[in-house]
Amino acid sequence: MDRKKISKADLGRWLDTIAGKYELIGPTEDEGIIQFGPVQSSAELTLEYANSLIPPKSLFFPPVESLFAFRKRGEEIQLEETKPLQQDRVIFGIRNCDVGSLSLLDRVFCDDLEDSYYRERRERTTLIALACPTPPRSSCFCTTFGIDPLSPAGSDILLTDVGDVYLVDAVTDKGEELVALGEGLFAPLTEGEEKELQPPPVDMPQLDVRELRERLEALWEDEYWEKLSLPCLGCGICTYVCPTCHCFDISDVGSTSDGVRYRCWDSCMYSDFALMVSGENPRPTKRERTRNRYFHKFSTFPSRYGTGYACVGCARCLVHCPGGVEITEVIKDISAKEGVSDR
Amino acid sequence: MTANIYLPSIATVREVRPETPDTSTYVVSFDDPQLRESFAYEPGQFAELSIFGVGECPIGIASSPTREGLLEFCVRAVGTVTDALHDLEVGDKLGVRGPLGNSWPTTEIEGKDLLFIGGGIGLPPLRSLIQYVLDNRDRYGAVQIVYGARSPQDLVYKEELKEWEDLPDVDFHVTVDAGDDTWDGAVGFVPPFLKDINPSPTNKVAFTCGPPIMIKLVVEALEEMGYADADIITTLEMKMKCGVGKCGRCNIGDKYICRDGPVFSFEELRSIPGALEV
Repeated sequence: MDRKKISKADLGRWLDTIAGKYELIGPTEDEGIIQFGPVQSSAELTLEYANSLIPPKSLFFPPVESLFAFRKRGEEIQLEETKPLQQDRVIFGIRNCDVGSLSLLDRVFCDDLEDSYYRERRERTTLIALACPTPPRSSCFCTTFGIDPLSPAGSDILLTDVGDVYLVDAVTDKGEELVALGEGLFAPLTEGEEKELQPPPVDMPQLDVRELRERLEALWEDEYWEKLSLPCLGCGICTYVCPTCHCFDISDVGSTSDGVRYRCWDSCMYSDFALMVSGENPRPTKRERTRNRYFHKFSTFPSRYGTGYACVGCARCLVHCPGGVEITEVIKDISAKEGVSDR
Repeated sequence: MTANIYLPSIATVREVRPETPDTSTYVVSFDDPQLRESFAYEPGQFAELSIFGVGECPIGIASSPTREGLLEFCVRAVGTVTDALHDLEVGDKLGVRGPLGNSWPTTEIEGKDLLFIGGGIGLPPLRSLIQYVLDNRDRYGAVQIVYGARSPQDLVYKEELKEWEDLPDVDFHVTVDAGDDTWDGAVGFVPPFLKDINPSPTNKVAFTCGPPIMIKLVVEALEEMGYADADIITTLEMKMKCGVGKCGRCNIGDKYICRDGPVFSFEELRSIPGALEV
């Protein structure tokens, strides 16, 4: 579909029409915290945000979700699968780093042993991405990993703020269906506007990650991991706010005759994550757990799934780490020519 | 597997056979007659066993697909779920999710002589292949079994061990770490016992499973005897959870033990950083 525009005044009208037909989810602000959640009307949304605290991966792979209920009736055990969604959804305002993370998570959850919960949420959701404000936050580094904050890749529609109007790029059938709902609200661009209405180019510091994996793999035994793990508190916030982390635990709640099997996010940074009942732990200290996290992002994930690195440069982990561990510094350290620098 | 990879199928305990003071064999069959017919697995695969309200844990399938009908699991009571499994009696229900993981290489080893080295509760996963080989005897060469446990009462499959001992085409050796009044067999740890037997590496593939320290020393012994790493095969026990390569727990390098294993050769394991560090 050709590029269109929608006036800022009409955006709310369009979203309200969408909310009448779908579950509308978008960024809301509560005491300074931005989060993605369901709204009844566009008036509840905020457009003044860089990104959410918790990545919208939580809308596809929730922090806690029921997998099925079990009930014992006499001798019989009945299992009832939990339906992941009641209604088709539209997510408005997702940023491209988080769109990029979904394509990575797709590789994990939609391989040949498909996770039906994640799959159904993906299939029944339309993504309206919102191009990032320029200049980007100083912490952002998505372009390092090939993500273009102004591209419609991976979403169904991209909106770009160019002053009085948003440019509208509907790039999938699902996206075009949503545009069709806003009859009369969208207008084609004149030839002059095609040239004039352009977002300013994104200027973001770019890290050199060309040989990151090879350099990392040479550092398995390096003392660097010990040093890097010293300020780590093992709190797991880096994994909790990461849009590509996918570790989880499965557990039962209730009694043996009536209850629910659920899964919840877990963290490879927790000391008991890989602990076995025998008492053995393949990653017994912060050194091994820290190393495992960076190897997963930059070596084993790309190797296993044939993708790029499992980081999208959203900077959530480095902003929220109480120990001040910054993944950008780790990348620089690993990429430093003579082994690793002495931090 | 069901279409939902997390959804177990309901099965009923048909028989409970105590093996040692803390270990029992559970013989189960699916309640759904269609699934009973269609459930296909390879020796070496595992399943997630569920006690609803308690949880789920991965247990190797100890039976062979060549013996039709029932599935066997040998379970030591060591944790929350395995303790709850031990409360099961004949007629009780449980959940079974599987089969999961890869399997012993049954085709690649055709025509080879086979050496099985088990320690304690490491024998059940090997037994699925041993039974498979004995049921397809003409496809394989000589069979040698070396088994050990801490004490005579810690040996599993006591009746079956006697059968193997009596089979003319199986060379069977058993030892215990410490004997008692009932024991007139060999006494000593498995690795030196294996060295004394000194099985030739020629045209042979060795399979081993047991406590990590035993595996480590057995592999050292086998390498001393001239076995190549590619011909030493084990099944890895790590803390698996989901069983389907998603929850992130059981990785070694870019492999998930639950998906790419649990069966690996030592040649593979040596190429993966950290795989042998436990």
